[in-house]
Amino acid sequence: MGYGRSDSYRVATTQDKDKSPKKKKGGKDMDELKKEVPITEHKMSIEEVCRKFQTDCVQGLTNAKAAEYLIRDGPNALTPPPTTPEWVKFCRQLFGGFSVLLWTGAILCFLAYAIQAATEDDPAGDNLYLGIVLTAVVVITGCFSYFQEAKSSKIMESFKNMVPQQALVIREGEKVQINAEEVVGGDLVEVKGGDRIPADIRVVSAHGCKVDNSSLTGESEPQSRSPDNTHDNPLETRNVAFFSTNCVEGTARGIVICTGDRTVMGRIATLTSGLETGKTPIAKEIEHFIHIITGVAVFLGVTFFILAIVLGYSWLEAVIFLIGIIVANVPEGLLATVTVCLTLTAKRMAKKNCLVKNLEAVETLGSTSTICSDKTGTLTQNRMTVAHMWFDNQIHEADTTEDQSGASFDKSSVTWLSLARVAGLCNRAQFKAGQDALPILKRDVAGDASESALLKCIELCCGSVRANRDRNKKVAEIPFNSTNKYQLSIHETEDTNDNRYLLVMKGAPERILDCCSTIMVQGKEQPMDEELKESFQNAYMELGGLGERVLGFCHTMLAEDQYPKGFAFDTDDVNFQTDQLCFIGLMSMIDPPRAAVPDAVGKCRSAGIKVIMVTGDHPITAKAIAKGVGIISEGNETVEDIAARLNIPVSQVNPRDAKACVIHGTDLKDLSQDQMDDILRNHTEIVFARTSPQQKLIIVEGCQRLGAIVAVTGDGVNDSPALKKADIGVAMGISGSDVSKQAADMILLDDNFASIVTGVEEGRLIFDNLKKSIAYTLTSNIPEITPFLLFICANIPLPLGTITILCIDLGTDMVPAISLAYETAESDIMKRQPRNPFRDKLVNERLISIAYGQIGMIQAVAGFFAYFVILAENGFLPSRLVGIRLNWDDRSVNDLEDSYGQQWTYEQRKIVEFTCHTAFFVSIVVVQWADVIICKTRRNSVFQQGMRNKILIFGLFEETALAAFLSYCPGMDVALRMYPLKPSWWFCAFPYSFLIFVYDEVRKLLLRRNPGGWVERETYY
Amino acid sequence: MPAKQDDGGWKKFVWDSDKGELLGRTGSSWFKIIAFYVVFYGCLAGIFIGTIQALLLTLSNYKPTWQDRVAPPGLSHTPRSDKAEVAFDMKDQETYLPYTKALRDFMTKYDEKWQADKMKFEDCGEEAVEYKNRGDLESDVGIRKACRFSRSWLGPCSGLDDPDFGFKEGKPCFIVKLNRIVNFRPKPPTSNESIPDEAQPKVQPNVIPIFCTNRREEDAGKVGEVKYFGIGGGFPMQYYPYYGKLLHPHYLQPLVALQFANLTMNTELRIECKVYGDNIDYSDKDRYQGRFDLKLTITNL
Repeated sequence: MGYGRSDSYRVATTQDKDKSPKKKKGGKDMDELKKEVPITEHKMSIEEVCRKFQTDCVQGLTNAKAAEYLIRDGPNALTPPPTTPEWVKFCRQLFGGFSVLLWTGAILCFLAYAIQAATEDDPAGDNLYLGIVLTAVVVITGCFSYFQEAKSSKIMESFKNMVPQQALVIREGEKVQINAEEVVGGDLVEVKGGDRIPADIRVVSAHGCKVDNSSLTGESEPQSRSPDNTHDNPLETRNVAFFSTNCVEGTARGIVICTGDRTVMGRIATLTSGLETGKTPIAKEIEHFIHIITGVAVFLGVTFFILAIVLGYSWLEAVIFLIGIIVANVPEGLLATVTVCLTLTAKRMAKKNCLVKNLEAVETLGSTSTICSDKTGTLTQNRMTVAHMWFDNQIHEADTTEDQSGASFDKSSVTWLSLARVAGLCNRAQFKAGQDALPILKRDVAGDASESALLKCIELCCGSVRANRDRNKKVAEIPFNSTNKYQLSIHETEDTNDNRYLLVMKGAPERILDCCSTIMVQGKEQPMDEELKESFQNAYMELGGLGERVLGFCHTMLAEDQYPKGFAFDTDDVNFQTDQLCFIGLMSMIDPPRAAVPDAVGKCRSAGIKVIMVTGDHPITAKAIAKGVGIISEGNETVEDIAARLNIPVSQVNPRDAKACVIHGTDLKDLSQDQMDDILRNHTEIVFARTSPQQKLIIVEGCQRLGAIVAVTGDGVNDSPALKKADIGVAMGISGSDVSKQAADMILLDDNFASIVTGVEEGRLIFDNLKKSIAYTLTSNIPEITPFLLFICANIPLPLGTITILCIDLGTDMVPAISLAYETAESDIMKRQPRNPFRDKLVNERLISIAYGQIGMIQAVAGFFAYFVILAENGFLPSRLVGIRLNWDDRSVNDLEDSYGQQWTYEQRKIVEFTCHTAFFVSIVVVQWADVIICKTRRNSVFQQGMRNKILIFGLFEETALAAFLSYCPGMDVALRMYPLKPSWWFCAFPYSFLIFVYDEVRKLLLRRNPGGWVERETYY
Repeated sequence: MPAKQDDGGWKKFVWDSDKGELLGRTGSSWFKIIAFYVVFYGCLAGIFIGTIQALLLTLSNYKPTWQDRVAPPGLSHTPRSDKAEVAFDMKDQETYLPYTKALRDFMTKYDEKWQADKMKFEDCGEEAVEYKNRGDLESDVGIRKACRFSRSWLGPCSGLDDPDFGFKEGKPCFIVKLNRIVNFRPKPPTSNESIPDEAQPKVQPNVIPIFCTNRREEDAGKVGEVKYFGIGGGFPMQYYPYYGKLLHPHYLQPLVALQFANLTMNTELRIECKVYGDNIDYSDKDRYQGRFDLKLTITNL
């Protein structure tokens, strides 16, 4: 594809000349793969290649040789990425992240039970039950998330193209259709338009062959292929076609030089599957959380262990206490809560066409601070479209939007009609049959991308092109070739009285201009003068500068006396005029940005996310699109822009002055790591052009080195290493290649970049809401631990038992904690900066301080109050309780005296004790009402936030109903040792519930009144 | 290498001399947060004590608000059994010393010398009579007198003559009491239906009868004679009701002594003792409510 490119394009490509095959360091084994492609065959002559593979460029391989090569090299297929066996995946769910904490807890429980069983005759079963329940929780949650992810991967599998590829090879001089897997090095293969290239091939001969390399290089234009070596870089040269790219049109014959994993595509795929990915941000947060929780647990445990020893307990008892305290600190329900919250968000995102493959990735987008986006197919439509036209000495804008809502121009101009006629006639593209019902832009076209663009444009503006072509029968045609750089056809006119022929021509603008002597302005032919030429030049430069591909159009009516009707036009030995034509105008095409992209980029900007474009396409095009979608915002200049404006050499411009920059792949490979960091740090708007897949990877690593959480969006194979390496890779569901979808963590099912914004929003929301959920869940840990501590220290009857603790953690607390995931944002979360992964933690000491130190303590006091009320009303005043434990728990003491002198049997007082457990439990439920309401917001008042969260209201009723059920349902005394409460005992905790609410509202009021004040620094989590 | 860095980070966290930070906080920051928590917990403690005081105001001094869990009364015995088992070797004093000691300790509370004060005690007779009403619980009469209970009424089990309470002879004594419950008036059985035939002779007016027998069928006849000492061989009514610790500080609950006079030796016997009354219930789960179980093994080999 040579014509219609501005000069700058050629400059851009020639820069690549010195792209050496060796580059960059990299990690251990991946070293080799990170290097550029080592293909050399393109530099050899065809004979040399034939010799190398012992093949013949006419007859092909012999069958015996082919079979031998097949055994030696293996089948021509990509090794599928090592699939993790299902049980490994399952185990990963079972033992990953949060589960470790619970497993440790469970093991400690069993250990404690074992000690008890070994030393006591009648060990209490509590530790055993707790261990079993903990194990059950982990296993059930593990199964849940396993099935959740299995569901996603099932959707993934449906993407896979199951149709086996066929290839046409020539062996022993005969053409045979074989399975693409059986193609071997040295095979002579033939490809034609529409075929997939079966392996990396060195082109031997080609006829108008063009391949679409967009999935490999990101270039949106099809590239022509010919036998000549045009470039040292195998990726740039014309005589190599690559595995799994598509042949768009024409035919070609070539010798297979690489198969399977050794192909360029194969190397990228191997590189991708070999990349180690780091932990997701949420996994890191959960790890940090586990550290904090473990720290608190061990601190408490050891403190009370020492205390127990001091108080005179035996070593063994103290060890049991130690384990008990550590286990009591494990928030049993949190794993399930977090999993459910993430699942809910994943479902919500799936509804908005973001499919999340890995549950933990749900949050990652929310933490993202940098998005590296591929251009072609992600930001743009990957569909050439006419963007501008120049006629009547004026640039007109064509409508490039997907829904044709853009600007239009005067369509009545005679010049425009002529231009449309030329564009329609001198065009070999046509709509594929049977698509009349589809909107024009959605129809499939057979033919070259730019011709299709023209076809669609004309069809839209002027009606059926086919009818026009039928009226103007084509009599002769010269197809495009790289020497002429134009395409020409001769038609009969639609006016049956007019026997003249119409000659229409299009091609590279400068070439077309050379053929013209006149120009059409306002429908009239005028001689081409210098002024008009300059105006043409300016328009050409301007459109070229927009990164658009420009075509010139001209026509003439052939004089009837020289070319009478029936004149035999000879297109091989041209026997008609091809100069002195009438220039009509220019049309320029671009792969336009998707409609929603500029808005989405703007939203990302305001959300503090840096959007970097990383593309394999040319800098001019990349920059134009970057400007179009706002990646380079209006008014921001690159170094080159400044240099041009001030008219000074680029070297004199201070790079600090330019906020934006466009970096070429060739420059990138010469940069040191420091320079790279410097660029990433000091430029807010960056475009990387002409980057190889390996360089994309290096860019992502660079961003990560600076501490950014990087999202990569892309659709091509060339993006997949970067997708895999990124903290979150986002692939396109419709246009994306299989490899990219495999590597990605998230898939945009509708290919809409704007969905990323939704993802960011949901991710940030779930991060905030998880904080709230955790704050809520952790709070009840204190009223669960303190009873045990007081039991040890003050020797009072145990106020809250293991079973009731489990009822809270796995029963009443669950729904309210999950309901917090439905909480709406307190402020516009898309207006704030992304969180800093080093500073803004999911769980920080402030959250612990609030949950454990303050609210939790109030809750504990509420529970103890209920406990003392029940014991006092039954005869045991608080003063009597201290130190009573030994007798209280002694089965042989059946005449224990209370404060009134009454005597209690063991069983009688145990029932009171279990009633106390129930009351303590109910009290926790009551104070948790207030807690869930205060956890709804972190800064705002509940009165500002409102109570619109229906799930939360349901949760409040549900936990109350559950508590009542557990207390009053007959049989619970046997099953869970919970006893019915007198109605008045429900109200013990009410004042404390109210206190929690008031306390926190006051705290939040102070927080809002004094931003950055002490209250915020110490309590804002 | 990374481990070393972590080490440095840890040390720096504990004491950062650059910023003067101990465990990540400066002195004034520590002071503020500690002051905050002191005030916070101070207030919380204040509120808690306040609510507890409010609770105490609602309670009666004489009678607990609820008695549904303590009544019907339990039946407890001295010496206590460990897991309902009492086993000793009548030839080895060491094995029964804990039991006799417990009995001695328990019986000292009933020594005559404590019951001498006429302001505190009165004689209620040696025959079982009606409830002794000492005024309403809430009325302002003050401390009520208690009925005397003489150890001598327990005969050989009083410990006055036999400091070994029969353990030495293989005829062990057990002292049984009906648990105290404020304002509880046990009612003697009015119908004979629930009472086993052997216990029928024990039913008499104004006494809650107690009867012990073998629990298992196969032990039938092995328990031998059980002697009952105390007023009417049961719990006489005149000792009820109990007015609570505050109004009845010297109250002595009536006792019944059981002596197993003719036990089969060297076998584990399961004995069940039960009291019978209209407002005395038994529970499957609570083995000490209105009855108790005893596994008794005496060895003499």
